[in-house]
Amino acid sequence: MVIKRLLTQHGYLIAGEAGNGREAFEKYKELRPDAVTMDIIMPEVDGIQGLKDILAFDKQAKVIMISAIDQRDSLTDAIRNGASDYVVKPFEDDRMISTLKNIFDEDQKDAVGSGP
Amino acid sequence: MNITQDRMKIIEIMARLSIDRASRALSKILRTGAMITLSKVYITDLSETTEKMNNDLREMTGVMVDFKGNIGFKLLFMLPVNGSFILTDLFLRQPAGTTKEYSEFTESVIQELGNILASHISNAMVSDFDATLVPEPPHVHSDYAGVMFANLVMEQGMMDDKLLLMETKFEICKNELECYLFFSAGDDVLCKAIR
Repeated sequence: MVIKRLLTQHGYLIAGEAGNGREAFEKYKELRPDAVTMDIIMPEVDGIQGLKDILAFDKQAKVIMISAIDQRDSLTDAIRNGASDYVVKPFEDDRMISTLKNIFDEDQKDAVGSGP
Repeated sequence: MNITQDRMKIIEIMARLSIDRASRALSKILRTGAMITLSKVYITDLSETTEKMNNDLREMTGVMVDFKGNIGFKLLFMLPVNGSFILTDLFLRQPAGTTKEYSEFTESVIQELGNILASHISNAMVSDFDATLVPEPPHVHSDYAGVMFANLVMEQGMMDDKLLLMETKFEICKNELECYLFFSAGDDVLCKAIR
């Protein structure tokens, strides 16, 4: 909810919301957002599984894991499974916004790099 | 449950360090001075404690979190319903008094606070004490204080008639909030972490 407010205030359009990793995957397939922010701790299907499913469907997907779990195992698990970044809660607003900008900047660099 | 005085002291220190981290996280997320202090750590008789708490008929909002890992315990964070409105306003950075009734926003805020408190407590256990501990998704409940407490201890107490209980107090700057954070652990689960 806080992230939704923050991103909206900074001009981002929220395409959809999901309550667990399975819903996140279903919404991703339906909405194809530019980026996904996902918690690790979620009921039924957790964020790591959601991340794996999304990347199996679209290996270019940008998924930022946002979690209060600040543990090496969780962090490495997320990054090894293809997360674009990992933000620990509670975070400063600037941290969230700069993380999003960074992944979009990286995307543009890649696009330029792979052009004719 | 057989815990020596030395081990009890270590458990108390583990709890205090974990709570300090949770306290800092709470201050940061609420953007106001918040302090959680450990009131006491004790081993209690399950039936006696449940009977005492059953007399507390205040309506509370709370969140219960189970942890998975090599030290199993449960956390209950609860506060009177009116207090949850103040926390909702602080959390959502809106003027005090905006939230006037319990809604999905209040539930979401209490759930997220439970998630953050539980995560920071487990972070401390993992980094400072080599435990393996991750919180499960939090469950929000609204009920009488006694009922919520009974739910916490009954599940834990199924294996043992004695219970290791830690009680805490909350002080949130400019807002006198009566919040309760309980941890419960059955058997010698916490002792596994300090062998």
